[in-house]
Amino acid sequence: MKSSDPVVTRFKERFGDEILSVEEFRGQVAISVKSARVLDILRALRDDAECPFDMLADLTAVDYLRLDHPERFAVVYQLYSLLRNERIRIKAYVGEARCEIESAQALWGDANWLEREVWDLYGIRFLNHPDLRRILMPDNYTGHPLRKDYPLKGRGERSNFPKYTVEEPS
Amino acid sequence: MGLEKILGDGVLATRVSALVNWARQNALWPMPFGTACCAIEMMATLSSRFDMSRFGSEVIRFSPRQADLMIVSGRISIKMMPVLLKIWEQMPEPKWCISMGACASSGGVFDTYTLIQGVDQFIPVDVYIPGCPPRPENLIDGVRKIQEIVSKEKISDTKHGS
Ligand code: SF4
Repeated sequence: MKSSDPVVTRFKERFGDEILSVEEFRGQVAISVKSARVLDILRALRDDAECPFDMLADLTAVDYLRLDHPERFAVVYQLYSLLRNERIRIKAYVGEARCEIESAQALWGDANWLEREVWDLYGIRFLNHPDLRRILMPDNYTGHPLRKDYPLKGRGERSNFPKYTVEEPS
Repeated sequence: MGLEKILGDGVLATRVSALVNWARQNALWPMPFGTACCAIEMMATLSSRFDMSRFGSEVIRFSPRQADLMIVSGRISIKMMPVLLKIWEQMPEPKWCISMGACASSGGVFDTYTLIQGVDQFIPVDVYIPGCPPRPENLIDGVRKIQEIVSKEKISDTKHGS
């Protein structure tokens, strides 16, 4: 898809204030947006008349700690249009202080687990998510290990288990 | 076994333990704790080409209550460790443990927040098998080492008591 595609043009007209940048790289379009109205943005793309992006192929996040980006985190939505065989990428920037964004669970059911994963590993809270629990790390884990400032070797979680002992028969 | 109280440490006790050890060492029932790529090598060891049954330990038990040899083959994450501990506790004494591969023995290349850096920190390991993954021959060698350990036990020993 080109960034001159009518879907992108229509999108720019409608959400001009929300858009931070539109990039095209090797036939892929990526649109960076602010996170406040992300749900409207995603709904508009999903319900587009000509090119409905009806499938959420992936939802993930990036930590841009100490890099030159509008905010520290970006939640990335990879959308796919089954009808037109086109893909588009939406990046919604989320700040560190208010680390939350609307859940896309109401639009695509598969966002449920993907958002749990992002919450688990990056600590980005999804508002109105029906069941925001950890999905990969143990339930009693503290911290969000894919953040760039999380120590690689953890904070002692890996040595925090009781040693197996046997009581001597008396 | 409690026999030593009756028999003492004399000739009879030695002969009884030789008999018991002979029976035990040639009928090890492994509990496979295969969590990663090393488990594939373990399966190869068990199947016809390498055929661990030649050494009397082909009866894989998926119930820890029926097993006496734990083979930890693969990475153990912090979410898996409580499971491993529980299964180890469920195995009846006497029991032995093989830590198979670099990951189970030391964490291997995965020096990260989520991986146990060697299961021997939490459960007693008798034999370590190096390699990533170890060849089936190495695993067979490990089982032979366990058999050696078993053959040297006395009936007055309490396993893993210390
Ligand atoms: S030691 Fe190598 S083969 Fe075995 S589990 Fe680790 S990475 Fe896989």
